[in-house]
Amino acid sequence: MIIIDNLGIIEQINKATVGMFGYEPAELIGLNISTLMPRREQARHDNYLDRYQRTGERRIIGAGREVRAQRKDGSHFPAQIAVGEVSAAGQTRYIGLIRDLTDQRDLEEQALQRREEMVNVSRLSIMGEMAAAMAHELNQPLTAIANYAAASMRLLDKGPEHTGDVKEALQEIYDQAHRAGEVIRRTRNFTKSAEAARGETTLAEVARPIRSLAELDTKANNIRLAWEIPTDLPPIDVDSIQIQQVILNLIRNAVDAMRDTDPEHRNIIVRAKMTAPHQIRLEVCDHGHGVNAGKSSDIFNAFFTTKKTGMGMGLAICKTIVRAHGGELGFRSNDQKLGDCGSTFFFTIPTWVNT
Amino acid sequence: MTTTSSKVFIVDDDDAVRNSLRMLFKTVDIDAATFESGDAFLHEHDADWQGCIVLDIRMPGTSGLEVQKILVERGNTLPIIFITGHGDVPMAVEAMQLGAFDFVQKPFRDQELVDRVSQAMTQNLEAQETVSHKREVLDCYQELTPREREVMHCVVKGQANKVIAMDLDVSQRTVEIHRARVMEKMKARSLADLVRKAMLLDDDDK
Repeated sequence: MIIIDNLGIIEQINKATVGMFGYEPAELIGLNISTLMPRREQARHDNYLDRYQRTGERRIIGAGREVRAQRKDGSHFPAQIAVGEVSAAGQTRYIGLIRDLTDQRDLEEQALQRREEMVNVSRLSIMGEMAAAMAHELNQPLTAIANYAAASMRLLDKGPEHTGDVKEALQEIYDQAHRAGEVIRRTRNFTKSAEAARGETTLAEVARPIRSLAELDTKANNIRLAWEIPTDLPPIDVDSIQIQQVILNLIRNAVDAMRDTDPEHRNIIVRAKMTAPHQIRLEVCDHGHGVNAGKSSDIFNAFFTTKKTGMGMGLAICKTIVRAHGGELGFRSNDQKLGDCGSTFFFTIPTWVNT
Repeated sequence: MTTTSSKVFIVDDDDAVRNSLRMLFKTVDIDAATFESGDAFLHEHDADWQGCIVLDIRMPGTSGLEVQKILVERGNTLPIIFITGHGDVPMAVEAMQLGAFDFVQKPFRDQELVDRVSQAMTQNLEAQETVSHKREVLDCYQELTPREREVMHCVVKGQANKVIAMDLDVSQRTVEIHRARVMEKMKARSLADLVRKAMLLDDDDK
């Protein structure tokens, strides 16, 4: 607690507050309150006090406010102040209560750091998933090649009359080897995008590798996946892996939301379009159970989940990523009047501006 | 090892994997029938089929696990060998718990798969034989009169004719006649054979 007169001179100050600023109590009595502020705040404060006395316009008085405060050693710390006014014997005094926000700020900063770490972890996990998807796709041609090769060896042991069959098997081996090569070519494009953390690209380019990954999920769940991302949208400047993480996350959620949907109506549409002169929007539209109206404000919060197995981090991470790219993440319920159940989740990305 | 009607039923959505498996089995003289989806297989599936199923666990449409569950509901007796891919171990574990014969991970050694398929087919054949043998015994048993059944149960418990006669309150001569009828109707060559056959009958059948 601190008491100043109408000119800002400190009349009284309690021990706790003095300690907060690193002074001895006697040092501060008679000094201007601005001693406790960084230079930038000093001028502002004089203005406030002056204006309030002339016009009665309140800036701080009666309301709490967050300011920077300055210790004796010149270091700054975030503080919250609340100021009240007391008039007695024809003189106006102001009483200020000051709270050191350093600890609270530390917590907030830690939380932010956690969130960034989660983004990084999820970045690693999508790389892992890509590797798993590639392994799955490579396994098909490799299995066929191994089978054809084994059959050929057995046929050769049986005798020359099977030459025709062996030739047929060799042709298949040849074709399957090329099929495997195609898988690797596609993956190479993906890893290239992973190396360059952030840079000019197109949404179609970023989203492409996600399609085969998403199809693993959708096929296994009997879902039709429509992919409507025009290749001629303007370029964007993004961390490809992070944006891929967001797209995959939204698709995974759509898949999960349709567990109880009649197989005939299991559709997911992924589409992108321009929604403003410098803004692209990507939407993931499902026919699932939708978002419970009462929960719509919670779904982007960390640790909120409706899934039996889930950390509740997906949308929270997505939101962090999209915000970091200068976009917004949101959703709407599909129009039920049009017989369209489910939800559409979307995010916006600013287009790349050449500077 | 396999009879003419015994086959390996291959269910896999990947053309190349399916066709290469067919060719592989052909080289070891195992007849194969192929299906490009779980639904196609379930549509044609017949309870009289013999052999074993080679089933891809991860397929679009009805998945391998779902096919297995439906087959279990249908009382299927064909052993199932699952083909699993990278990271499918949890699914494979579930399949084993549901009674799958085995699973092999892609890409697998041809000999490994051929061996497992041969073993599965042998097991299926033996199981079928046991079933048909049991059915024969049951058919015979149903020919017995209630009195003959009583006598049979006493005989297989090892009771002497004299004891059986006293228990059932009939003459020893009558027991001997019933006993001869039981042996004849059950096509039992000896007392030991009759005991063996009686053991095949479940409590419900008696």
